[in-house]
Amino acid sequence: MLHPPALPVYELTINVRVSWQAHSLSNAGTNGSNRVMSRRQLLADGSETDACSGSIAKHHHAVLLAEYLAAFGIPLCRACQQRDGRRVAALVEQPEFKKLSMEHILRGCGLCDVHGFLVTAKNANSQQGTEARSKLTKHSLVEFSFALGLPGHAQETLHLFTRSGDSKEGGQMLMKMPTRSGDYALLVRYTSVGIGVDTDRWQIAIVDEQQRRDRHRAVLSALRDALLSPDGAMTATMLPHLTGLEGAVVVRSDVGRAPMYSALKGDFVTRLVAMQSDTCLVYPFATVDAFHAIMQDLISSSVPCLPASCHAEQQQEGEK
Amino acid sequence: MSRASLGWLAADYHLPATYSCRLPLSSANSALISPAPGPATVRLALIRVGIELFGRDVVRDSLFPWIRAARVLIRPPERVAISGQVLRAYKADEDKGRVAIGESVIYREMAHAEGAMTVYFEIPLKQCGMWETLLRNIGYWGQASSFATCLEVSECAPETNECAQSLQGLGEYVLLQPFFSCILSELRDSQVAWQEVVPPEETPSKTARNPLKLEVYVWPLQVVMRAGGSTLLARSTFA
Repeated sequence: MLHPPALPVYELTINVRVSWQAHSLSNAGTNGSNRVMSRRQLLADGSETDACSGSIAKHHHAVLLAEYLAAFGIPLCRACQQRDGRRVAALVEQPEFKKLSMEHILRGCGLCDVHGFLVTAKNANSQQGTEARSKLTKHSLVEFSFALGLPGHAQETLHLFTRSGDSKEGGQMLMKMPTRSGDYALLVRYTSVGIGVDTDRWQIAIVDEQQRRDRHRAVLSALRDALLSPDGAMTATMLPHLTGLEGAVVVRSDVGRAPMYSALKGDFVTRLVAMQSDTCLVYPFATVDAFHAIMQDLISSSVPCLPASCHAEQQQEGEK
Repeated sequence: MSRASLGWLAADYHLPATYSCRLPLSSANSALISPAPGPATVRLALIRVGIELFGRDVVRDSLFPWIRAARVLIRPPERVAISGQVLRAYKADEDKGRVAIGESVIYREMAHAEGAMTVYFEIPLKQCGMWETLLRNIGYWGQASSFATCLEVSECAPETNECAQSLQGLGEYVLLQPFFSCILSELRDSQVAWQEVVPPEETPSKTARNPLKLEVYVWPLQVVMRAGGSTLLARSTFA
């Protein structure tokens, strides 16, 4: 059980071994053929294994998060309201968004705040009549690794499907599509201290504690859902069977990194538990419901930490 | 500060997932990677963590003079497997001042490592604690999803023949053929200015000097397997 009344979270990692059956969550395209290629990754032990990219998991989390943010009454920018993956960068060419500041973006959009954005710098061009623009960027606070199939525990089956062409003339064609089943090592890191913070300068843009806490709750709720209700490519007809989830949630309650250890290693939970300390809390779990319970506790009783530089400033003011 | 007051800190990092440290000069749309981060990546990571922990002023005034000038050596993991991945990404096209962003297919190499990677950093021994804190708090190298967990920081001098070396630094009569080499970034010199590395908020000037230089580095890694677009490298030592 978690510590009452409120557990401060500086950073959180989810280290899991997840079992998906009959899925095709992430693919590498068709390479010009009529066969969908599954994603493969060479491991350092020399074996080649099945993989699912982190990009698709991040996209899924962002979609879920937008729903939670809207439900919690947290503002979204016009681009994120339309689920435009470019986020605020999609708006910068519009006249009313020419003078965007970091504070304005972070206060005005919970999704840009959490999943980050990149507005590129631009030099003025007198011939084209364009103004100069400063670079504005925030790293994503939620990061996903590739999900890597455990060697010897991931299999692939090819299925032959019929498919209609793009037009009537295209007719019917045959497609080979893989379904994969296996146990996957997956890591997620959530840097909660960065909620409402310009993480390039480590300056707070949102001082309202409740606002930061609501955003934090939304992020954790979406993380819980992303793991318990898998999503990705081809789920319309190949929604995966989730048959297992084990691992550890690691919470760093003060400044520092929450350790991560790959579930490709059989002893990953043991290694993480061995790193436990007063400020590094490890919550192992072996079932989907145990994971759900841990996440529910975190959602209801944790708060995002303030950046270390703010503590130093508060201390200096106190001494004065 | 004299050399006698300096010592080496060794920080071991577990790379728990696939990672991708893009080579300089390689396009973001077709990214080749280094088997481990280069010296400029290490210095920039220390600056980034320093700002997070101590604030911008402390890093600029106290840490940066050391970060830019200290000797850095990197020992790669025992084995590194590199695979090419085809991914979907956004691509910006600028035309007549308007930026249109569409979707595109990109190619990016991803690496998977076995064994710890070690960063050696030569620091003033009196401030050992602060540097240890910085090294312990590096959570990624290069790309933000290239996760890293610091396992241990200790006082330990490097075995230079197990670390990446610039081609110039290798000296004469070193057999290069079996080893993996690539271009890496390093700070231009030990006097590079803070404003060059961490530009002010105003729009960047076209005349700003590049704080980085490019050099060919040789890694003590040999190819043990090639299959399709994948390569497996294993650590050895320079003779």
